[in-house]
Amino acid sequence: MKLALNHKDLLPFIEFLGKDHALVAPVEDSGRYIFRSLEDTADITTEYKQTPLPPVKFIYPDKEPILKFDLSDDKHAESVIEAPSQALLLLRPCDINAISIMDEVLSEEPSDLNDIERRKNTLIVGFECATPCRENALCFDKGTHNAKSGFDIYLTEINGKYFAEVNGEKGEKVAEASGFFNRALSEDRVALDNRRIEREEKFEEVLSGNTDELSTLLEGAYDNELWEKSSKKCVSCGACNIVCPTCYCYDVTDEVDITTNHCTRTRHWDGCQLRNFTSVATGETFRKSKSARLRHRVLKKEVYLKERFGRSGCVGCGRCIDHCMAKISIIDIYNDVFEDKGQN
Amino acid sequence: MTIKDKHRLRLPFSAIVEKVEELDEQHKLFTINVEENLLKYKPGQFVMVGLPGIGEAPISITSAPLSSNDSIKLCIRSVGRLTEALHSTEAGSRVTVRGPFGNGFDMEKFRGKDVVIVAAGLGLAPLRSLIDTIRTDKRRYGNVVLLIGARNPASLLYKDIIEEWRKEGKIDVRITVDVAESGWDGHVGVITTLFKEDLYIDPTEAIAAVVGPPVVYRFVIDELLRLGLFERNIFLSLERRMRCGLGKCGHCQINGLYLCQDGPVLSYHDVRKLKEAI
Repeated sequence: MKLALNHKDLLPFIEFLGKDHALVAPVEDSGRYIFRSLEDTADITTEYKQTPLPPVKFIYPDKEPILKFDLSDDKHAESVIEAPSQALLLLRPCDINAISIMDEVLSEEPSDLNDIERRKNTLIVGFECATPCRENALCFDKGTHNAKSGFDIYLTEINGKYFAEVNGEKGEKVAEASGFFNRALSEDRVALDNRRIEREEKFEEVLSGNTDELSTLLEGAYDNELWEKSSKKCVSCGACNIVCPTCYCYDVTDEVDITTNHCTRTRHWDGCQLRNFTSVATGETFRKSKSARLRHRVLKKEVYLKERFGRSGCVGCGRCIDHCMAKISIIDIYNDVFEDKGQN
Repeated sequence: MTIKDKHRLRLPFSAIVEKVEELDEQHKLFTINVEENLLKYKPGQFVMVGLPGIGEAPISITSAPLSSNDSIKLCIRSVGRLTEALHSTEAGSRVTVRGPFGNGFDMEKFRGKDVVIVAAGLGLAPLRSLIDTIRTDKRRYGNVVLLIGARNPASLLYKDIIEEWRKEGKIDVRITVDVAESGWDGHVGVITTLFKEDLYIDPTEAIAAVVGPPVVYRFVIDELLRLGLFERNIFLSLERRMRCGLGKCGHCQINGLYLCQDGPVLSYHDVRKLKEAI
């Protein structure tokens, strides 16, 4: 469904959503932009640059209870699913694409019930970026600077109003109930097309080859020295895992409340770059070297996820580059394999 | 109370420990009453056993899925925080169980064939489920030879049970220890030395099942291939850090494969394509 929203109606629409959704939006905080629970709609910014943590964190949180046990009785564990109604606001296309990848991964059987329930209760309102946000972004090469799915409503600025693409029943219902949206006029459609053409011109490729070839090239480069070279400065901190919007590995720990005799099994993000990620109790560590771990992270995105789901798991948001303590760049790694191909 | 199907693999159920038998200093055999909560399992599958407040560990089922009673046996080595805590539980106490997980051995592939079972160290624990499955229906299989390797006579698992198998005579049991102690009059040498003698199998038709610590696979597979077994007929059960059992948490991943879901039993033909596997 194609609709339009007047500029002046954006905040009232968000306030309308706030009636039955917890609101999460990009705000400026100490000189940087972050997604957080919104207290005042005036804090919202549409002109934000990349946030350190991706908004998917509100669907697949860094820490959440999944089970609870009563240690004083013999009952089975109970599952814990916390999935309040929420609206994630003004998401960029890269982050929307990431959420749609996570949807596919986590709904593959046996599915992740917590994620699915939370996703069901989450409304996603996208907001198209006008220009590339910074040079570390490889979204244009990845085609993820556009969002075709994964949102309920997607806003694009055109001539003093927002063009609103609405996807599916959840978005249609809320747009209609709010009363703020009008049918898009044919001139709005023309304006959208023109804006998109102009926008494409502003993006530049940062990769030196065709991304469709990446998975084959990376598989071919499995034993290449590039992994050793690229991982040399890696400090195995796992920051790349934490900021990645499609990293979903986790570990679980039991937390016991001594006074109530209740135990909560909590899951929290884990990272394949951490030294002990593959260690077992007998002392064996299956991915010992930094180079093997880096290779695994890259191949998981470009080869393994692609084999399973038919698309790359890297949306080119560039966060792993921004936050790498060792300045390891996925752009350099991709370009290295493209360069190798050129030489062979 | 039974658990709804959708939660089967996710929700740990409470189960009573019926019996704890000490096998040696490091190993105990637990009999756990799982009532109707555990779905039918196959040899080679595993469960997540836990103690609330401490955590869970993946343990392969050592009993065979034969009897109609509602208990399973788990042979557990005390090696980590959870297994150490399990070792101090007694009959009558409760543990949690989730599962069964993984693919297990496909018994259809073994039927009518000669079988070589190679058990190194604790590898005999999951293989006992396969061995007992074959023993109780032996006429459906060809010649079955079991090669067992242990570090030393003291660490040989299931001594009494092995003796029973020998007496019964349905399977050809051969044992070696890396290092002998006084009183040991059996074979001495690493497990591959057992391949020097005739195994009395038809190699081009035979099926092999190999379980052991990571270091043994390459050497044992070389011997099996040298004998003339086909890559597709050699099955390995690999070990990784299974945590969620749902193919999500990532700890057991071997290249593109989640061992908790896609394994732990893989043919050598498939393992060969996985650079991280062995």
